[in-house]
Amino acid sequence: MFGFGVLKGMSVTLWNFILSYIYPKKGITTVQYPEKKKEVEERFRNFPFLVYDGTPDNMRCVACDICAKECPPKCIYIIPEKDAQGRIQKKPATFDIDYAICMNCGICEEVCPFDAIFMDHEYELSEYDRLSDLMYPKEKLLKPVEHFMKIRPTDCGAIEAQRAAKGIKGRAAQVQSAPAATVKPAETQQNPPANA
Amino acid sequence: MDALHILAKLGIFAAMLVTLTAAVMVVTLRNIFHCALALILVLLGVAAAYISLKAEFFAVIQILLYVGAIMTLVIFAIMLTSRIGDKTILQNNRQGLISFALLGLFNVFFTGAVLKTSWNLNPAAMAANVDAGVLGAAFMNEYVFPFEIISVVLIVALVGAIILGRADQ
Amino acid sequence: MEASDTIFVAFKKAILGFLQGFLPDWTVVIVSILISITAIAIFGPVTMMYLTWLERKVVGRIQNRYGPNRVGIFGLLQPIADGVKMLTKEDIVPQAADKVTHFLAPVIVVIPALLVFSVLPFGKGMAAVNLNVGLLFFLAISTMSTIAIFMGSWGSRNKFSLLGGMRAVAQMVSYEIPMVMSVVPVILVTGSLSTVSIVEAQLGGKWFVFTPWGFFAAIVFFLCGVAEVNRTPFDLPEGESEIIAGFHTEYSGMKFALFYMAEFMSAFAISGLTATLFFGGWDGPFLPSWVWFLIKAYAMIFIMIWFRGTLPRLRVDQLMGFAWKLLLPFALLNIFVAALWQLLPAPKNLIVAGAAEAVVLVVIFVAARKDSPQKRTYIFAD
Repeated sequence: MFGFGVLKGMSVTLWNFILSYIYPKKGITTVQYPEKKKEVEERFRNFPFLVYDGTPDNMRCVACDICAKECPPKCIYIIPEKDAQGRIQKKPATFDIDYAICMNCGICEEVCPFDAIFMDHEYELSEYDRLSDLMYPKEKLLKPVEHFMKIRPTDCGAIEAQRAAKGIKGRAAQVQSAPAATVKPAETQQNPPANA
Repeated sequence: MDALHILAKLGIFAAMLVTLTAAVMVVTLRNIFHCALALILVLLGVAAAYISLKAEFFAVIQILLYVGAIMTLVIFAIMLTSRIGDKTILQNNRQGLISFALLGLFNVFFTGAVLKTSWNLNPAAMAANVDAGVLGAAFMNEYVFPFEIISVVLIVALVGAIILGRADQ
Repeated sequence: MEASDTIFVAFKKAILGFLQGFLPDWTVVIVSILISITAIAIFGPVTMMYLTWLERKVVGRIQNRYGPNRVGIFGLLQPIADGVKMLTKEDIVPQAADKVTHFLAPVIVVIPALLVFSVLPFGKGMAAVNLNVGLLFFLAISTMSTIAIFMGSWGSRNKFSLLGGMRAVAQMVSYEIPMVMSVVPVILVTGSLSTVSIVEAQLGGKWFVFTPWGFFAAIVFFLCGVAEVNRTPFDLPEGESEIIAGFHTEYSGMKFALFYMAEFMSAFAISGLTATLFFGGWDGPFLPSWVWFLIKAYAMIFIMIWFRGTLPRLRVDQLMGFAWKLLLPFALLNIFVAALWQLLPAPKNLIVAGAAEAVVLVVIFVAARKDSPQKRTYIFAD
């Protein structure tokens, strides 16, 4: 009948109003930030971080520069380490990501062939100074693989299983195998192992 | 209570002064929308005059009909004739001074005529307290024929307005 | 009970009695008027401020969220924060605007909103002025806000403001007629235009809303009142997502605050008048009279806010069709039913009036329903 649609709609809103008082868990969907925070999803991405196994020296990154090349706004700046003779080592001396430029797209995570860089869940990263405090150097970006397992168990579990299946042991294993290679001086200088 | 009476009379004179000033403003202001606003002020002043004559019903009806409805219509008319507020259209002409002088002369004779007439005031009618109920009863008993004629005129006007404003089919 | 009922009247009498000792009589009259004016001038804006708070909380709860709850406990200091914000904003006047009109419009729109508070009977003997044409005064003064809204839209020199203003004026003028017509049964039955007498005719629980004509007259009057103060679903003139902000687009800071204040005070006045005319005013058991008035007025306000949280905005042709084709015939036929009810003796009048009202309902909802809202016909496209 004419007008009953309006009354039906109004009864729905009245029920909403009453429910918000008598049963707030269902009636109110507000999360009172910053006292309470909502749990983020596992695939939530905000800012990247670098993974190390064990100690910060064992970082997985080899300074291949792929993520810096693929980054759309070009916020990653990598300078590889050089040893005493000036040969490039497979480790970054400088790895800077600028939070003011980073657009949180996650492409660096997708293209890294060494499982070194992943997207973190931290979003409360405000600073008072725009230019110096928002530039994250290597030390601030390094986090252990246990942190990775804690925030993204599915992805980390899958990646670790893949690495174990392929027999990738990481930089610690490679450092141990290096002295054995220099014992035979007659051999030509070998390229370092392709998967480190 | 003397001071109150003096204050009341001062208030009424002030209202009349405002009304007259606004009436002058209606015909002299340049922007025609401002003239309409001054006309609203005049009508409100007339309502105040009605109140001072103890006819509150008329004062309120004056505000309801004149200010609420008729002035809205006047303002719509002003707004819909778009060129009327243009600066290029002359609002005054050169006969101002002589018409003012002739009007002053007319005023002298008119005021003399008004002051010399003996208006026979009926004290019983002046002391009567006419309120809405008495008016309504008068409409239905003594003045029913003019009332019905006015109703017919209004209906004719309404029907005519609807016909004129109907979309072409 | 008696003491708490007339506590404000006794307070005022005490002040006047104290002053009468050393001031001449005419000053005491002026002081009496000033006390009433001060009471209204305090009550009006404070009501408006806490109505904005109430609206935000209730609409929030309807939408499954808290309202403002950070500024002070339960957000009670939020209106003060809003007031400070509006006072400190820059007052921008468009360069081509008509300065006099632009300045006067917010001032003139507040005057009717405050003036009508003087005829509302807030409690027993607590109407500020007992005019014997009080009801008509209310209706006449609230038509003046039409002019002010038009001034606001014209003075802004903005085509969209002008369009919003025209629609506002058309809406307000159209809804005044059913509003006045729906009040006529009340005047018919009580035989008086004074709001105080209307409340006194309903004492003892014989509220007009419990009669067949009164129920529907109350609905029509309330809907017309909601349309008069431009509240959702009739807020096309100031539609916040439509015509930018309608007639108050070009107003910022204190001027906007004045428009906002006038809207909320008018909403409270309409709710108060509905409570007075149809729901018995300050009549009620146990509690003091002014508490009952506030309860009834705030119940009406809650219904207005509930409308706002539920209904979408009406389109302008639907809005006008609703007033002219549905509410006006309904209000006119209601007058006949009220006359029947008044003339016949009880209890026959209830049956006859109920039957007549049912006939009216059928006529209105079956005959008039097809026309409002009308299906849109395209003249130029076929």
